[in-house]
Amino acid sequence: MTDLTCRYTGDREQAIVSYLYGDAGDFDRGAFEAHLAGCDRCTTELAAFADVRVALGAWSPPRFEAGPAATVDWAGSRPPAVASRASWREIPLWAQTAAALLCLGIGAGIANFDVQYGADGLRIRTGWSAAPAAVVESTAPQAAGRNGETVDSAPWRAELTALEQRLRADIRQTSAAAPASADPGDLRRVRSLVEDSERRQQRELALRLAEAMRDLNAQRQEDLVRIDRNIGAMQSSTGREMLRQRSEMLNYVTVRTASQRGQ
Amino acid sequence: MTSTDEELVARSIGGDAESFNQLILRWERPIYALAYRTIGREEDARDVCQETFLRAFRALPGFRGQAKFSSWLYRIALNLCRDWIRRERRTGFVQPPEDTDLMDLIAAEEPSESIEDLVARKDQIRAIERVMARLPEEQRTAIVLKEYHGLTFQEIADLMGCPLSTVKTRLYQGLSVLRRELAKTQADPKGPALRT
Repeated sequence: MTDLTCRYTGDREQAIVSYLYGDAGDFDRGAFEAHLAGCDRCTTELAAFADVRVALGAWSPPRFEAGPAATVDWAGSRPPAVASRASWREIPLWAQTAAALLCLGIGAGIANFDVQYGADGLRIRTGWSAAPAAVVESTAPQAAGRNGETVDSAPWRAELTALEQRLRADIRQTSAAAPASADPGDLRRVRSLVEDSERRQQRELALRLAEAMRDLNAQRQEDLVRIDRNIGAMQSSTGREMLRQRSEMLNYVTVRTASQRGQ
Repeated sequence: MTSTDEELVARSIGGDAESFNQLILRWERPIYALAYRTIGREEDARDVCQETFLRAFRALPGFRGQAKFSSWLYRIALNLCRDWIRRERRTGFVQPPEDTDLMDLIAAEEPSESIEDLVARKDQIRAIERVMARLPEEQRTAIVLKEYHGLTFQEIADLMGCPLSTVKTRLYQGLSVLRRELAKTQADPKGPALRT
């Protein structure tokens, strides 16, 4: 029988951990080894901890796709978040104003922005569906018919319409050209991702199948054991019945024989 | 010739972004592994990893080499993990999504393994994750730093801000719980075989 009493005089827990991890600090390894030779409790515990360490070795984190941190732009000496805010502040005011006006102009052009000033006052209209050329044609005679003076004749309107048309043409061109300019490297990466995913799915399917087979086998084993137990129980009850009948027959024969002898 | 961490840090402080990238490549994986084993969620571990390097980058001018760069990085990562745990109001970590990380684990690590071995290994990993999740944060961190990062007791004590003897006690207690809980799975044929 294993003796589970430990007579180690020092701090047992500290000693076990130090010995387990090969600590070379102020721990007296020789003394503890001498103690281990005669202590079943410490030896058993150390062996169990060693097994735990082996089991822990199986636990690794999921695959690490390189570069979650490296995707940040580290260029420059300043941290990225601060750098991006600072770079916006460094743009001169005149450039910011020009950019804002440009955005406003483009927005107005795209939104079919229509300003009219006539007898009935100032009219501002926007519309996504109406073609800009048609708007100019349809509104010009109406406005001219009323008072002969309209903002449609202003030179900026024609320029704005031209700008809008140019922008629309550019957008169409860009959207048409986009698929053709796809990077072959991206395509390769996408293809490799799809292939990886397929491989993983196949592996997962195989794993699920193996798990199902194992469950099925376990269930079959369990059923076989149950059947075996039932048959055993039946055999045992049948055996008991046979024994009973046999002893009854023996009793009967004995009684008959004794009565015949008596006669 | 490979530069040391200290040389790369000095060059990074001087504005050499490429040196900092090299430090990232060198330490990204260990930091991610530490975060994953501490908080148990792949996506959050990635976020913690990225935030660790971001904070390190910001604080780099203040790094005077009083500790090893790796210890400094570990400390930032552990603080972030602790914040994450507090924020999520979890005492332990959460089981990772079953259909992704475990499959990645087994498929990526040992592609030549048989399906039976994979099943057994997956069960073992699940058991370990389950038990590790139940450990108090201090014990789990001590085990992770010692087992997976090979830090000395003194380094762990410095990182965790506790005496060296406390680190050993936490390790002993953590290993005892792991031993007891993993041994329970012995009755289950799927569990890892352990001496009780």
